[in-house]
Amino acid sequence: MAVVEARRVTRLFPMAAGPVAALRDVSLRVDAGEYVAVSGPSGCGKSTLLHLVGVVDQPTSGEILFEERDVAGLSEAERSRIRLVRIGFVFQRFFLLPMLTARENVELPQAEARVPLADRRARTRELLEYVGLADRADHLPSQLSGGEMQRVAIARALANRPALLVADEPTGELDEQTGEHIADLFGRVHADGTAILVVTHNPMLAARAQRRVTMKSGRLVA
Amino acid sequence: MTATVLLAASLAGAGDSASSAPPPGVLLSRQLAARARISIGDTVTIAIDPAGTRAVSLRVAGIYEPTPDPLRFTAQRLEAHMHLPDLVALVADPTDPAAREAVDAINVKLTDPNDAGRFASDLAVRAPSVTVTPTSRTRDDDPFAVLDRFHVAISIVTVVGATAFLLALMVIRAEERRETIAIMRLIGISRRSLIAAVAVEGLLIAAGGALFGVVTAFAAEGLVNRFFQARYDTALVFLRVTPSIAARSIAIALPLGLAAGVGASWPLLRGEILSLFRR
Amino acid sequence: MTSLWLAWRTTTRYRVRAMLAIVGVAVIGALLFDMLLLSRGLLDSFADLLRSAGYDVRIIGSEGLPIVRVPIAGAARLAADLRARPEIGDVVLVRIERATAQGAGHPPRPITIVGTTQIGGGPYTIVKGEDLPATSSSWDRCPILVGRRLAAALGVAPGSSLRVSVRPEGIRSALPPIVCRVAGVVNFYFAATSEDAVATTMDALQEALGTSGESADLILVASRPETGPAAAVRVIQQLRPDLRAYSNEDVLAQFNQNGFAYFRQISFVLSSLTMTFAFLLVATLLTVSVNQRLGEIAALRALGIGRARIASLLLWESALLVGAGAVLALPLGGLLALGLDRLLRQMPGLPDRLHFFVFQWRAVMMHAALFAVTAAAAAGYPVWLATRLPIAATLRREVVG
Repeated sequence: MAVVEARRVTRLFPMAAGPVAALRDVSLRVDAGEYVAVSGPSGCGKSTLLHLVGVVDQPTSGEILFEERDVAGLSEAERSRIRLVRIGFVFQRFFLLPMLTARENVELPQAEARVPLADRRARTRELLEYVGLADRADHLPSQLSGGEMQRVAIARALANRPALLVADEPTGELDEQTGEHIADLFGRVHADGTAILVVTHNPMLAARAQRRVTMKSGRLVA
Repeated sequence: MTATVLLAASLAGAGDSASSAPPPGVLLSRQLAARARISIGDTVTIAIDPAGTRAVSLRVAGIYEPTPDPLRFTAQRLEAHMHLPDLVALVADPTDPAAREAVDAINVKLTDPNDAGRFASDLAVRAPSVTVTPTSRTRDDDPFAVLDRFHVAISIVTVVGATAFLLALMVIRAEERRETIAIMRLIGISRRSLIAAVAVEGLLIAAGGALFGVVTAFAAEGLVNRFFQARYDTALVFLRVTPSIAARSIAIALPLGLAAGVGASWPLLRGEILSLFRR
Repeated sequence: MTSLWLAWRTTTRYRVRAMLAIVGVAVIGALLFDMLLLSRGLLDSFADLLRSAGYDVRIIGSEGLPIVRVPIAGAARLAADLRARPEIGDVVLVRIERATAQGAGHPPRPITIVGTTQIGGGPYTIVKGEDLPATSSSWDRCPILVGRRLAAALGVAPGSSLRVSVRPEGIRSALPPIVCRVAGVVNFYFAATSEDAVATTMDALQEALGTSGESADLILVASRPETGPAAAVRVIQQLRPDLRAYSNEDVLAQFNQNGFAYFRQISFVLSSLTMTFAFLLVATLLTVSVNQRLGEIAALRALGIGRARIASLLLWESALLVGAGAVLALPLGGLLALGLDRLLRQMPGLPDRLHFFVFQWRAVMMHAALFAVTAAAAAGYPVWLATRLPIAATLRREVVG
């Protein structure tokens, strides 16, 4: 079963000089438990595709089906709910809340999903151990390295047991060795059954994927 | 001399005056003329009581705007001016010869106004039953001197509050440019140059803000005066923004803006460069 | 993990700017609180002063403000007629003249001398000595109460003698001085801070004036509680339609209309300005703060944190800043009010007991309500900004930027 499917989606951005097509007639499907990597040169539309598949943005034309539901007809509150409990997001710049500890950052989406406190605490402990940061739980992001922050971000993205993990250049701001650790972590997440869609320039990260797609000028070429 | 008078207006036509002599003239305040719907040239009747006792006819020779009195700006200026002999003839008790010699007040214009205090004291001694008061007030007995101090106190409080906010905003601006300042220091831009840049920026913001404030004050001046003049039916000017006030406002704003800008950026300019890169 | 908790954490993270914002709100809030106190303070203080005299109707002989003095002819007869009426509880005649007072070894000082038929408990507080006697005796024909400032200036105390020369208006020659015994030193409720006043019995004043007891400048009337001042005013108007009778409410209404107008207006203008000021500054602070955190907010929205939660977070941030400032504003405003009150009471001719800033719980409630509205309004634009931001475009911009 497809977790998410994009059917002939096009995304135009209005500009002063005329609309720019970031995506043209792209179709992509990610099945449950599948690991897909999207590569391509800068500006080819990778992040735009990621945002559409992650239900963060809406296509100008075409369909996005999440778990066989057309998201176009959903309200913003419903899309928000999908992002909260069915999709996990990992960003290039981590975007951890700077005033919350690692533990609190991971708890936040669970609190929004109204997970009871005891369950939240247990799940958070489990996730921080999973990403190897159990001993840094009470540290603020300013006290963590880049790689550690990204691991906390991954734990946060997994907090509500999403069906799909979406990552936009997760190793973009990390050194090679740290990137490798993140790639290993993604491998473990995939092995545990979560579908992953990652946009990356990093060949090592892309190599871990089951399927690689390449984009150029807003289209899938391979 | 004052009296409670009844004013009745009659519009005298061209040929209906019974006496050959024209009636004496009277001036009415604008407010009274508007209230009684009287115009220049109308004939009015003035009496000393509502029953119309000892009524006399007078011709409205003019309508005047009463000199605004800031101490009585809410008072309705329903007043009329007549020649003193006409008023005395109207209100004086005909059985009391002394009544024609009595007045309520005597205004004295001195050749040297600076002598007013001494003249008043001298006259008070010679005529102990008379109250003699200079028209100009000393700071000690001028209620507006007190109000002036009150306004200054409120201004000081407002400036203190505004300074706190200005500092908060400048701190945010400084935080936003933390990395930029770190990079500039790293590549060798001197602290002096950076302080100068921050100072100039603070001055420009303060100058812009102060000018905006002054322009707003000038605009508000007209609105405020029109509103309160209509509200209290007076010609009194309630608010006046003078060049001196505008200059003082700018003179206060500029050093505050400069101090806030430099003060907010000081930790970034003085701290260790590498610490500025840490989150 | 409530929105309040998150807002608290955000506020404490940016401690310096938060403290500065709170100080700013507190200072402006103090001014707002004082303007709310001023909006009714003088009126309430004046009402308190009027009620302290114990009489609720004043009769004068002329139009306009009931402080202009035109003698009331037949005052004693009127007082007797009033006392016979069931609506009237008590009647007191008052006469006020200018005079000079001279103590041993001191030059004469101009004073105000008040003659009254009131027996005991007048509009003053006895500081030393005793009250005026109920009746004068042959050996004590002029007992007087002296204001504290005058007593200090003349060096007199209870038991001392003062030579008093009355100088009534319209009389050219000075009347012969009389020797008065200081019965007590008092604080007069209605005397201005710079005014020197003495009070004596009406008999003593009339003897000094060489007149009989038929006229007074002011008649104070106390109505019976069961009928009230309005009934008393009607009775007076029936008996003497040529006179003006004002209840305390009438006096207050006139004062509110005329004497208090400036303070009412400035209170309104400054209250509005301070609220606008606080709104603009908190809104600016929050907007700048939100703009700094757009990436964070977009990430939270991408993670599924709803708009309502984001809005709630920002509202609580506003509430914390404005709320803390508003609470701090109360003691600060109290201190400021003391200073401003002391300043304004330097106005010439004001009774010593009159205050401009009078604490009222109503002002505290209004202060709280106004700041609650300000906090909500100030968060309006930042909330709109944060909840309406395009998530994908913001994320893209943050990465590129």
